[in-house]
Amino acid sequence: MILSIIAYLSIVLFLGISVYKAYQFAGMPFHGRMDLYPVPKEKGYEHGGSYFEETAWWSKPHEVSHIREIIEMLKEIIFIKKLFENQRPFWWISYALHLGIYLIMAWTILLVIGAMFELNGILVAADSSSILGLLVFYLSIVTGYIGLALGALGSGMLFLRRAFDNTLKKYTTPQEYFNLLLIFVALITGIFTWGNDLSFGYAREVTGNLVTFTPFVADGLLTLHVVLVGIMLTYIPISKMSHYVGKYFTFHKVLWDNNPNLKGSGVEQQVKNAASFRPTTSWSAPHIKPPVAPEK
Amino acid sequence: MLDQKDLRPKDMGRSDEQLIKLDNLIPLLTPYDKPGMESPLTDPKPAWKEKYCTSLDGYIGIDTLTRPKTKEEEDEFVRKFLSGLEKIFSDANNGVLQPLLLSFEYCAKCNTCSDACHIYTAAGNNELYRPIYRSEVLRKIVKKYFTTSGKFLGGFVGADIDVNWETIARLGELAYRCNLCRRCAQTCPLGLDNAILTKEIRKIFSQEMGIAPTPLHTKGTMLQIKTGSSTGLSKPAFLDTLEFLEEDTEEKFGIKLKFPVDKKGADILVLHNAGEFMAWPENPVAFAILFDAAGLNWTLSSEIMGYDSVNYGLWYDDVQAKKIATMQMKVAKDFGVKRLVVAECGHAHKASMITADRMGTDRLPVESCLPLLWDMVKSKRLILDPSKNNFPVTLHDPCNVVRQMGIVEPQRNVLKAICPQFREMTPHGVDNYCCGGGSGFAIMNSANFPEFRTQVASRVKFNQILGAFKGTMEDTSTPKYICAPCSNCKGAMRGLLEHYDATEKYNLQYGGLVELMVNALVSLKKPFLEFLE
Repeated sequence: MILSIIAYLSIVLFLGISVYKAYQFAGMPFHGRMDLYPVPKEKGYEHGGSYFEETAWWSKPHEVSHIREIIEMLKEIIFIKKLFENQRPFWWISYALHLGIYLIMAWTILLVIGAMFELNGILVAADSSSILGLLVFYLSIVTGYIGLALGALGSGMLFLRRAFDNTLKKYTTPQEYFNLLLIFVALITGIFTWGNDLSFGYAREVTGNLVTFTPFVADGLLTLHVVLVGIMLTYIPISKMSHYVGKYFTFHKVLWDNNPNLKGSGVEQQVKNAASFRPTTSWSAPHIKPPVAPEK
Repeated sequence: MLDQKDLRPKDMGRSDEQLIKLDNLIPLLTPYDKPGMESPLTDPKPAWKEKYCTSLDGYIGIDTLTRPKTKEEEDEFVRKFLSGLEKIFSDANNGVLQPLLLSFEYCAKCNTCSDACHIYTAAGNNELYRPIYRSEVLRKIVKKYFTTSGKFLGGFVGADIDVNWETIARLGELAYRCNLCRRCAQTCPLGLDNAILTKEIRKIFSQEMGIAPTPLHTKGTMLQIKTGSSTGLSKPAFLDTLEFLEEDTEEKFGIKLKFPVDKKGADILVLHNAGEFMAWPENPVAFAILFDAAGLNWTLSSEIMGYDSVNYGLWYDDVQAKKIATMQMKVAKDFGVKRLVVAECGHAHKASMITADRMGTDRLPVESCLPLLWDMVKSKRLILDPSKNNFPVTLHDPCNVVRQMGIVEPQRNVLKAICPQFREMTPHGVDNYCCGGGSGFAIMNSANFPEFRTQVASRVKFNQILGAFKGTMEDTSTPKYICAPCSNCKGAMRGLLEHYDATEKYNLQYGGLVELMVNALVSLKKPFLEFLE
């Protein structure tokens, strides 16, 4: 029962805090432009161009491709494209961790689906007569094996790389080692907990018990694993590992936001709103004072 | 003094006389790869060490940052910095709060940005100039003073830095070892921008502590707000200059040029960097010849704030930037033109079209000169003969115009059309390297700073230039032209070519885009570019 509460609570906290962080960033004051090219939505994306390449740009429609923007964002989210292009050796281990996390998320969902199937009489096993049962069974195995292996390998390798790379270790704080170690230990305990049953039948059974608040006997290792995963899920969104939230804003709301302040535009309204704000804090240097008329 | 390889962010608080010494610059390309082709880097003078902060790398970027005489002054200096540091996260800084917090919070320290930095690269991968080094020092100070985790957990979360006069002064100096070119931000997998943090440090020094390099502040924005131009050029002097240029143009080229000034009913108000009239007058002359030849209805303004496009506030002080941008826009609107065209000045492009874009409503449209110039060529409104420019030409991409505004093609389209021997630098376009003069470096000439600018900040650019002209450098009879359509970039080029004596030795020339266009005009009887005579 306690493990069920931990599981539910940590997922709720993970999602809740992540959404709250996104809400906080979204509600931040309107800021100045900081476009950085290439901007994917621009017509001239291939060469890094923008609407400023046109004469009388303000009088022409701003042609944008939101599809390309989404594609570029997906490349970044799914493949960590910039790291791949600019620092390949690091990409291998960072991508192992991230791909591992994606697969573990998929695996977790598959375990829940599998548990639900079994509760409803659909067998999830190699000898299942249900195609869905077979699909969930094999997908669970693929995502589980690869996800746990890549996640543990990636977090472990990142930890070691930070610990032994002469440059990275100068910039890595003990907390950042802790972050990686927490993920690593949570995954390793998972591997030991679920590794005894390579069909993940035990994992599905436990998931079913957790989801339905059914009391069950949990050994020390399983308890440790669930508690660690609970801590990890709660800790990630309050730490800088919540960069999955920030990344949306850094690209879409900062580097790729080049919407001009044209008459009648939404930007114009935001500029007006921002202009009416009176800050409660002010700078103290002697030259900070209202603009004066220049001497004729 | 530390070996730069051992340098850690928390070493900024050490009591050493100088943290590191530059001694491992990357080699220059041929013909500058031979021994004796470059003067060695110098040590700061003993008197400077006593007066300024030379304890970072020996260079002095902030000439107004002087050592305290008493313990009270030292404490007050630290207190003011911390006060400013707190304010950058307050509503006094609303205009950058979101981007700042994102870049401040989320750095994964993957170190992908380092190789993108031309200063870090030029200095032989020097730890001090690693983009995240500066950012990490700032984070440590913030954590130590302004976060609960830092107060309770200290070194565990990275709040392990000693904060004293030396730490803060070094951090201030280090903020002037970055050109704010934002090339590093292009590579960040999380979309973070170290240049934002660098500029925030500069802002704290200026907006809270009243400390900024004299060329940017006292002789920059303050002078501009007072007289209308950072050059100090008054209205009568401006008009005299134009008159002189008209006479000179007629004398040299037989062209009866008349600069339209304060012309009623003009469509376009052209804004030049006023420094052009003094340092490179051929540039505004070329603009006038081209605009007249293309039949544009244009004018210059002689109103205060109407004849200088610069806005140095962009580099160090948001309040100054806003004052200047607002005053410039007011002059233009009062004038009644339909649009503003920014001439060849990179930071003025960004200041008036990007930064000022969200500083008010009902603004006049602002346009870059570059698409307009390409339009003149493309539409054949100018009769041009490319054979007049039959010498090697390469293009420097000003960071503000290209990487930060996305104006990439028009200028190279012009060059491809009028320069048969045009060749690109590697890399180019939005990936190009800064000239080393960005963010104020080009005009910061106090103490030994020009040495840092020329031999370190501009070093990668110089190699790009040498690479572009590979195989032609030794042929001194052939001029090689670096087209830099930006006043500050030209300032950096001037320093570079003078330092390496490259014009004298190898006939390496530099200038803007419009000069090449005028040189190609069929109607011009003699070369517009002096070095062709």
